[in-house]
Amino acid sequence: MTLSRAQPITQLLDAETVQNIADEVWPSLVGDGEAFVPVPVAPPAEVLSAWVTISGPWNGAVVLTCAPATAEALTESVLMTRPPTVVDDEDVADALGELANVLGGNIKSVLPGPSALGLPQIGTAPATGRLDDVRRLDGQWRGQSLTITVQGATGAPHTDRNEVPQP
Amino acid sequence: MRALVIDDSRAMRRIVGTILKDFGYEVREAGDGRQALDVLQEGFTPDLCCIDWNMPVMDGLQFVMSVRANPAWRQVTLMMVTTESETGQIVKALAAGAHEYLIKPFTADAMRDKLALLGLLPEGVTA
Repeated sequence: MTLSRAQPITQLLDAETVQNIADEVWPSLVGDGEAFVPVPVAPPAEVLSAWVTISGPWNGAVVLTCAPATAEALTESVLMTRPPTVVDDEDVADALGELANVLGGNIKSVLPGPSALGLPQIGTAPATGRLDDVRRLDGQWRGQSLTITVQGATGAPHTDRNEVPQP
Repeated sequence: MRALVIDDSRAMRRIVGTILKDFGYEVREAGDGRQALDVLQEGFTPDLCCIDWNMPVMDGLQFVMSVRANPAWRQVTLMMVTTESETGQIVKALAAGAHEYLIKPFTADAMRDKLALLGLLPEGVTA
């Protein structure tokens, strides 16, 4: 029996699709008139990530990464809190995790299935697998850097870590 | 009208709950299917349950099956509110007894349309 190579995410998903999904997610979760703008700005020195895993014909994670201060501002917007209410770490984990969850669920829906979505996690993003198995969209929200990364798992079946990308 | 919003995300519970309250619903919340069953067993019988799929402890599909297994809760309308949008998942939820399916992200208008379809739009709210 011959095992077929798993298709990398770059062959399954284009940046435009990720942007279209973000275009639906931001007004719905972050607020009316809010948008993920696909214009990169300088990345922050310190970052926080939230992600969900996708397990199926394609294995990996959808990761949302930004500065801690941006995560806090996103949380205030998602939770519709206004000063003097202060969001805590649990609020940030919840709101950023839900953003990753909704992004991940919608990205899963355009990938080959059936697939399973993991529960949201927050912290330092998981390591990436194959170099060509990463679809990354750099952008900004309210002028602050945000990155959506769809990345293959390090231990994904039938994949070779750090393999040279195929033309 | 009364609604129970079941989601492990407080942010999503707040978003769904705010929309339903704006429509005139009395809203209670639960963080997973097990907590939601506890709320029902306490005697809170909602007209509508909005149910996330992926939750710890007891997921949305298990909750739907548990509610449908109890004749006392036959009148409760169950709507999945989830990112799970694969056809197979939708079929599975409807086969288990869910009445409707709303995919995240959604707008207040989309929620209103679903409630209108279900006949659960309170008086005074225009479809």
